[in-house]
Amino acid sequence: MAEAAKNAHLREYETVFLVKPDLTDENVDKVKEKVRGIVNREGGKLLRFTIWGKKKTMYPVAKQPRAIYVHAHYLGAKNLVSEVERNLHNFDEVSRFISVKLAEDIDPETRPVQEDVKLAGDVDDNKPFGGAEREDQVGFDDDEPGDLP
Amino acid sequence: MRTDKEYEKKDRKSEGGDDEKRGRGFARRRVCRFCADKNSKVDFKDQATLKYFVTERGKIIPRRISGNCALHQRAVARAIKRARVVSLIPFLVLQG
Repeated sequence: MAEAAKNAHLREYETVFLVKPDLTDENVDKVKEKVRGIVNREGGKLLRFTIWGKKKTMYPVAKQPRAIYVHAHYLGAKNLVSEVERNLHNFDEVSRFISVKLAEDIDPETRPVQEDVKLAGDVDDNKPFGGAEREDQVGFDDDEPGDLP
Repeated sequence: MRTDKEYEKKDRKSEGGDDEKRGRGFARRRVCRFCADKNSKVDFKDQATLKYFVTERGKIIPRRISGNCALHQRAVARAIKRARVVSLIPFLVLQG
């Protein structure tokens, strides 16, 4: 296999990571730039960062009821994800992350780098957890509340 | 403009979907919603859609009730498990 062909096609990945909620915007940007640095250093291409903002988590993460969600969309070779995740482990600000492969064999030229997006988040979202529209459907969740430890 | 025949066809179709009661008090959805809408994709980041496939308790709803096809049920289950890791969907909801 030619080395040039190997370089030409990369895999498409996305990583969502949770940052501690008490961080300022600048500190979040710092984490973002660190990740961007890692991706570029390893020969990848960072397409877009989306900061979803401070959101309520469904269960406490790092003893906090909220977290700032950051989504990174990038192209990279096969060893990039492990390098990114190894670094995310080391960042104190990052409490949780997940990486998913979206596609294989992507030509980096076809994917332009997009501008970063910053969303507002939904701190005031106090809605109870969903499923209410299925209340009348008996039989698929027969557990009694009492059977939990 | 649609002809009378086409209207007829549509009416019959809409009847067929809700006819089949299973004795438990709900109509079974027969079409996988991801197959019906080719543009929709299963995505672990899409909290609103995934919520539809878990119970209030947080359990994944079986395919016989959700109406998903096997392919999409696997994808939905995978997406739910991923969403749980990043706390978009609860592992468990304590009640009572």
